[in-house]
Amino acid sequence: MQGEQGIEGGEKMARMKFLCDIERCIGCSGCVVACKEGNNVPVGINRRRVITINEGKPGEKSLSISCMHCSDAPCIAVCPVRALYQRDDGIVLVNKDICIGCGYCFIACPFGVPQFPKGNTFGKRGVMDKCTFCAGGPAPNFSEKERRLYGQNRIAEGKVPLCAAMCATKALLAGDGDKISEIYQERVVRRGTGAAKAPGWSKAY
Amino acid sequence: MAGVANTWGYGAMTNSMNDIRHSKLIFMIGSNAAEAHPVAMQHILYAKEVNNAPLIVVDPRFTKLAAKATDYVRIRPGTDTAFVMGLVNEIVKNDWHDKDFIQKRVAGFPEMCEKASHYTPEVVEDITGIPKGEVKRIAKLLATHRPGTVIWCMGATQHSIGSSNTRALCILQLVLGNMGVSGGGTNIFRGHDNVQGATDMCVLSHSLPAYYGLKDGSWKHWCRVWDVDYEWVKSRFHNKEYMNKKGFTLARWYQGVIQEDKINQYTPIKAVVFWGCASNSQSQYHKLKKALDMLDLVVIIDPFPTMTAAACEKDNVYLLPSSSQYETEGSVTSSSRQFQWRFKVVDPVHDSKDDYWIMEEIVKRFGFHDKFYKNIKKIPDDITKELCKGSLTIGYNGALPERIKKHTLHWETFDIDTLQAKGGPCDGEYYGLPWPCWTETHPGTPILYDISKPVAKGGLPFRARFGTEHTYWNGRKENLLAAKGVYNPGSEVKGGYPEFKNWKTDLSQKTIKEAIRRGMAPFGNARARCVCWNFPDQVPVHREPPHSPRPDLIAKYPTYPDKEDHFRVYTKFKSEQKPELVKTYPYILITGRMVEHMGGGAETRSNKYLSELQPEMYAEISIRLANNLGIRNGEMIWIESPEHGKIKVKAKVTDRVDDKTIFLPFHFGGMFMGRDLSENYPEGTKPYAIGEPANIVTNYSYDIITQIQGTKEGLCKVSRA
Repeated sequence: MQGEQGIEGGEKMARMKFLCDIERCIGCSGCVVACKEGNNVPVGINRRRVITINEGKPGEKSLSISCMHCSDAPCIAVCPVRALYQRDDGIVLVNKDICIGCGYCFIACPFGVPQFPKGNTFGKRGVMDKCTFCAGGPAPNFSEKERRLYGQNRIAEGKVPLCAAMCATKALLAGDGDKISEIYQERVVRRGTGAAKAPGWSKAY
Repeated sequence: MAGVANTWGYGAMTNSMNDIRHSKLIFMIGSNAAEAHPVAMQHILYAKEVNNAPLIVVDPRFTKLAAKATDYVRIRPGTDTAFVMGLVNEIVKNDWHDKDFIQKRVAGFPEMCEKASHYTPEVVEDITGIPKGEVKRIAKLLATHRPGTVIWCMGATQHSIGSSNTRALCILQLVLGNMGVSGGGTNIFRGHDNVQGATDMCVLSHSLPAYYGLKDGSWKHWCRVWDVDYEWVKSRFHNKEYMNKKGFTLARWYQGVIQEDKINQYTPIKAVVFWGCASNSQSQYHKLKKALDMLDLVVIIDPFPTMTAAACEKDNVYLLPSSSQYETEGSVTSSSRQFQWRFKVVDPVHDSKDDYWIMEEIVKRFGFHDKFYKNIKKIPDDITKELCKGSLTIGYNGALPERIKKHTLHWETFDIDTLQAKGGPCDGEYYGLPWPCWTETHPGTPILYDISKPVAKGGLPFRARFGTEHTYWNGRKENLLAAKGVYNPGSEVKGGYPEFKNWKTDLSQKTIKEAIRRGMAPFGNARARCVCWNFPDQVPVHREPPHSPRPDLIAKYPTYPDKEDHFRVYTKFKSEQKPELVKTYPYILITGRMVEHMGGGAETRSNKYLSELQPEMYAEISIRLANNLGIRNGEMIWIESPEHGKIKVKAKVTDRVDDKTIFLPFHFGGMFMGRDLSENYPEGTKPYAIGEPANIVTNYSYDIITQIQGTKEGLCKVSRA
């Protein structure tokens, strides 16, 4: 993928991705709190969550998930007012000035990402909020409006999102998809124990 | 830490967090690092992945750390010594011990083996509940993966035999020859970034700073450092006896007020100051609360009012709001003996004052400011300079504020694997000048007792601290100095040697410099001890907890006789151990941390996001036990201790604990035995999350040496609320 020529003949732009390395995630929720503190997200709204399966049993695994910034994002496809859009670098954002809070995106999203203001039994409709990859929003970069509606714009500052920057065990990786994949691949290779753990080795002659 | 210091010299982590990256095996017992030390996990998981190191987790509870283990071993609380001595026995019996290392650098090995031989896999299985096959398998893993590191925390120490647990773990590493090498060592994780520093400065009652003790010589040494008249200091005490007498401890000070156990002091305690200390971290909290309501004066110096303020229901409390760590600066010493400078980020907010200001004002009002601030002009730099100048025992003297700041500001020039700077302004030095840092040009000691490096370059032998010769109970006499041929490169003496005379009190530092010049350690070159003749159990042996769930084992493994003057208070052991207790209090009670909250929780429960993640106090109970008692997940239950402390908490039905054990997180406060104390907080300061302190139900149990509270070996009863 890296260095692949785009149809215009130029270098392809980086595509931003998250990857949570399940072997490394210890379920500490540091990412969740970093996101909320840094972006001033209200209590009850979760741009990121840590999911634990098989809690307390062998096979217990934790995984940090947020908006996956899908290549072909179903939320964008179903949005009736085109409030959702994708930047050239793959980051999916919502324009809160346009969003009507219909909740179609919530139904379409395979990861349960879109968040709506809480307040009464059935949740009062209001503009949708979700992970911005710490890239702010459609308001001008570093403006007061951007900070208030979307939070920090670390991407414009050349930094990775807060959640990944905070991760103590480097389980949560964020950035250029090709780079992330390289880092993860290297880890997987280093984790290999040679032939000893290769499938079938114990039975091989 | 007493157990560790009495084995080889210093009571501190021997290697470092980063050095775990070189381990071929990681043995963690009584540690839930995934929740208590999440940042350290990066090194542990790295070793697991890259070295294919087995990660053995020994714990009564299937913790978040256990979820990352390659081998999880469930152990009955309070039986660590039996398990570890069982491993030692298995290793020796199979001839897997490091004979060369033991012959040259270890003392008391045959005597230790004699005691360890009792702990056969069968005996270990009976005491600990760990199947005998597992004991053999884990011993073999330890033997076949060297160097391995051993890590423990409060799960190993907070027991009546906590000091034996820590010594057994040291012995395990000695037998395997895992000491003084990269990837090995005993890596004891401390609770936060300055617990080692606080221990070094001895915010405890048994010693002056830097482990000098309370002898006349110790007082005279520090009086010289402070430039204060020794006779004047002496005149401040009730009488000379109290100058050399250990004080009350954090665990039992309240007995000095309520006197349920007889105290050895001329007066009851009348006032108490909590400075950044959470009282709800102390066991039998309902008794501590009783003391709070009897005292003439309670002073709380903290950024938050804390549970202590809410628990005081007498008009005797003063709150002095202090600033947080971000609003002040100074040096801190981490788990791995590394100094860092914590720079100030913002000025103190909300009318709070930093700790230095509060301390100085108090000293002024006591009227001895002129005496103690002679060397302190620039705060905090001059304080660091003064304490480093006096703390020769642990080699603080090379860690000048300028050097510490330089390291912190250039941390990126240090290697993550070796901690050594490659180029840059700190070239060749180890990050944070891990103590001992013997001189102003010494690079720090990254791994204790490593004889592969010259002392001037961060090497050290074992410390000569326990004499030069000892005769054991069987009549065998042993030279306690290291064998011939054991020395650091460049040493003038090519074998063991005693400590240099006056090295700890020569403030000119000439003695230390002379030792370093001759390639030798100021503290000598000796053997590490398997036998501690100054401990009640010279070799660690199993003793049932005072409140034992196994009455059938009490006769064979009884606890200690009562200790009459244990830090000024009568402390019950044998008279507290009643075999019939388990009939009324049938479940084992353990406590621990959760990753979202910290200590007594005053700070983290006042954070809305952390409170959102963990809003409620709960008790973990197994599915089988919950069903047997008719308790459903989320229902309220009462938990009651043999001391009649009781708490009303939510049941969390989970597989984490076994069918006999109840687990409680200890961070909550703001409730008391079913009562909501919200109205006791000053307006606007009530934390977002409140709950019953777990320590209301932790039991009567204290370590025989240190008096640390035994919070991980109690009994309780449970009923639906």
